[in-house]
Amino acid sequence: MVQERRILYEHLDVPDINTFDVFRQYDGYKRFEKAIKEYQPDDICDMVMKSGLKGRGGAGFSTGLKWSFVPRDIEPRYLCCNADESEPGTFSNRYVLERNPHLLIEGILICCYAMGISTAYVYIRGEFTLGKRMLDAAIEEAYQQGYLGKDILGSGFDLDIYSHPGAGAYICGEETGLIESLEGKRGQPRVKPPFPAVEGLFHKPTVVQNVETLCNLPFLMGNGVEWYTDIGRTYGDTRFDPPQSDPNTGTKLYCISGDVNKPGVYELDLGLTAEELIEVAGGVRGERVKAVIPGGSSAPILTHYELECRLDFTSLTLWKSMLGSGGIIVMNETRNIVDCLLNIMKFYAHESCGQCTPCRWGTPWVRDIVQRIADGEGRQTTMQRPKFGVAEGGRWGDTGEMEEVYEDLDLLESVANNIANVDTMTWNTICVFGIAVSWPAVSYLRKFRPEFEAAIREGKLVTLSVEEATVPPEENYAYQQRIVPSLFEAPT
Amino acid sequence: MAFIKLNDLEVEVEDGTNIIEAARQHGIEVPHYCYHPGLTRPANCRMCLVEPHVFFPPAGKVVPDRQLATGCTTTVRTAPPDRKLDGKYDFIVRTDSPRVKKAREDILEFLLVHHPLDCPVCDQAGECDLQDFSYNHGSGKSRYLEVKNVPPKKDLGPDVLLYSTRCIVCTRCIRFCDEVAGTGELGLIHRGSHDEIDIPRDHDENPLRLLDNKLAGNVVDICPVGALISKDFLFKSRPWFMKQVNSVCPGCSVGCNITVDYKEDGLYRIQPRFHEDINQHWMCDDGRLGYHYVNSEDRLQIPMKRVDGELVPTSWADALNLVVEKFSETDPDSIAIIGSAQATNEENYLLGKLAHEILKTESIGLFGREPDEEHKFPQFTIDADKNPNTRGARDMLKLGDDASLTEEVFRDGIANAKAVYLVNGAPERPLDETAKQALEAVDFLVVQDIFESDVAQLADVVLPGVTFAEKEGTFTNAKGWVQRIHRAVDPPGEARTDWEIIQQLANRLGGEMNYHFAGEIALDIAENVPDYQDATHQKIGDGGVKLNGGNN
Repeated sequence: MVQERRILYEHLDVPDINTFDVFRQYDGYKRFEKAIKEYQPDDICDMVMKSGLKGRGGAGFSTGLKWSFVPRDIEPRYLCCNADESEPGTFSNRYVLERNPHLLIEGILICCYAMGISTAYVYIRGEFTLGKRMLDAAIEEAYQQGYLGKDILGSGFDLDIYSHPGAGAYICGEETGLIESLEGKRGQPRVKPPFPAVEGLFHKPTVVQNVETLCNLPFLMGNGVEWYTDIGRTYGDTRFDPPQSDPNTGTKLYCISGDVNKPGVYELDLGLTAEELIEVAGGVRGERVKAVIPGGSSAPILTHYELECRLDFTSLTLWKSMLGSGGIIVMNETRNIVDCLLNIMKFYAHESCGQCTPCRWGTPWVRDIVQRIADGEGRQTTMQRPKFGVAEGGRWGDTGEMEEVYEDLDLLESVANNIANVDTMTWNTICVFGIAVSWPAVSYLRKFRPEFEAAIREGKLVTLSVEEATVPPEENYAYQQRIVPSLFEAPT
Repeated sequence: MAFIKLNDLEVEVEDGTNIIEAARQHGIEVPHYCYHPGLTRPANCRMCLVEPHVFFPPAGKVVPDRQLATGCTTTVRTAPPDRKLDGKYDFIVRTDSPRVKKAREDILEFLLVHHPLDCPVCDQAGECDLQDFSYNHGSGKSRYLEVKNVPPKKDLGPDVLLYSTRCIVCTRCIRFCDEVAGTGELGLIHRGSHDEIDIPRDHDENPLRLLDNKLAGNVVDICPVGALISKDFLFKSRPWFMKQVNSVCPGCSVGCNITVDYKEDGLYRIQPRFHEDINQHWMCDDGRLGYHYVNSEDRLQIPMKRVDGELVPTSWADALNLVVEKFSETDPDSIAIIGSAQATNEENYLLGKLAHEILKTESIGLFGREPDEEHKFPQFTIDADKNPNTRGARDMLKLGDDASLTEEVFRDGIANAKAVYLVNGAPERPLDETAKQALEAVDFLVVQDIFESDVAQLADVVLPGVTFAEKEGTFTNAKGWVQRIHRAVDPPGEARTDWEIIQQLANRLGGEMNYHFAGEIALDIAENVPDYQDATHQKIGDGGVKLNGGNN
């Protein structure tokens, strides 16, 4: 069985680790001292680039690359630490904030030293009142100990950290929404480009990093690049393995919830499979796994046929899903997928910021359609049409059979795709909230279509058996590999 | 200049132009709602999506970009020689590809899910972007079955109503109040599909602040749908029943370019018209709502003369003869001609000619509305001088720049006069006691006016003139722009165009004026008045002409 590898969470349970003195006993701030005494800022940026560290907030963008985009000749530059952990199914950052806030401060110190930043903001989710209290106390302590403020440790490096509570909006976890909110405006994402690295907070270059990403820095600093790149699984045994050129290094705080026996946060090497993760979490509660959401509620769902997929940033994109924030939700055979989708769509309809048209009015519309289906009022026509599925040679095509036409299912897929097209991975919206809405909607429908059809046919929610509810993997695979009838000239 | 391929056209546009403007310059419409050339660009309506093309290295050629881009925020720039697309283009974009057309249709469907089908009772119908674009780019049917949001109708301020149901949340009005007016009364409340435009309110929904700044009316113009409605124009007329002429606002010496909407029975609406150097896209509410006097039933419609201390109606011939008789009796040095800062250049030019060449008097003065407060906004200024043509009148009457409109100067001008010919034409011009006494001291006072104003009430002969909406001519604004006004409606009753009155009077006094229309006078002005050589009606057109040496 895969073993946990606790790095970020190693000292989480040490009593009073939130105080400076105890933290200090466990190498606290020594990695920062090493950085500031032995390294030039550019060396640290190089280390981060070489380590292959990817942003842990959701997009999985290379941290080193992001840092390299920041123009060094514009002053001031800012760091925004994204502690607005609000993706449903994700709860790893709050433990760092509540139990080991000094680790985050040390990470911020290293990042700011490397980037020449003297002001950092921690944007904390409004509901994390304890986390904010603990962090504020830790910041206060760090000031007293001379690790924050002017001329830190006599090095001439200044840093101020401000913590700022959000007011309860999911979209403020989007980096530009966060910046707008931090500036005191409505939390609405900005049009990109310009990206925050070039023009962010107060129109200055800004690095936005997740809590978990920053907490990786002290360990990278303390143990070196080679130690870091050795963590993470090597590949080569499944057809969906990513290229070796894009390694997924380090550990990930996997938040596992739902129908498992021991839900919680597990720190594991990036790249273990979904099956293995469920095993680590004490196995599925109930008979068997019906579906797994791999990366927070906005990630496309995985069926029980797809549990062999590796849970890392690059592998999951090959499975047309994403690791996102690492919030894994397991569902067993008793769960109704229509009901699950309704739950998620209610959340997104409530959280759409309303800035741009497709999301503002499309998201509640999707919710309403799912609600209608769940209420047993979904529409079905009396017509039949040619059924598309696995045709000759395992390819997507006309199967020669006929199928019932479920008007509302076509409508649901069409409306969701009009917000953001899941096939072409393009969105008509300003930010990626659009794709966070249409991805689950379309993937749940495609992978568990029989359950949606049953709800419409029977006029009520019907929970089918796992096999009956799931579209066979061949069909799913054929669909994903099909040649999309292109609306534009495809590159040849 | 950037060389771009726009659909199948190869065109040059200036660096920094966005795709909407570049397309507009070459006759291609990119539909949009939130974008307004005078405001910042939030790209929130997503209607202006276009398809940029990029170089795709694996294919070794230029292909459509993966994502569509918003035309409002995508600007074109000259690319370095090694980055040209297809060897020569700085930018390649399509506004008519199937992908773009589908995106427009999809966005329109979303825009219409909560929009009521109340075009038959909506003021905007006929000039509504949502109507037009739905017709041109929409799908024609709705797939939305659910209950529509019905946010309340709101009274935002003295002239602005908000029909929230029709609002598409483009936020043009909010940005206008923030950026141009700088007053920031409007904002969004709630979130997501419940977004509503509103003014600040307390917990009992009572307004804490009203949309009552002097530029508030502009939000009605820029609203692309029928959400923001002017109370002044509400339910008055369908746009297609009105005719429209270009003109210039007579409210102050800024000289905002306007369009005048009218029917046979009078003016219905005034809206700003774009002029880059004068008013951009905007105008103030004083000008916008100040047209009602034109339609007034109290307008002077017939000449009048004083008989036994009472003003009684008379004929034009009688009135003019009376003036000629009195003026002939009076020593030329005791005759004062008072021009008007409300009258056109043509009229003041004829007045000057009457004074200098026919009456041969040196007493020439200027009359007009008294200065008010100046109102400065971040991107707009309402001038203190409440006359449209102070500068032009000075130029025409050969008065110095110091010929101010204060009561003192005016009193001095008529102090020694026995007979005065005074042109007014201001919608309102109260006189203070001392000015009244000065005018009462004049033996024979002729007033050319549009109302029975304070001045007209003191007159011995009153000649009914016309307003800006009933005549042709030119105004010179404070910055030296000469601009044209156009006749929209007919003068009321027997009122005559002011320059005709002056010409008839001059000819009866022995002059030989033979002008047939205002443009002829402008030709004479161009010949005789310094700096006005380009100010002929033909050259002025709709854009105006800047005087030589006019100081900005």
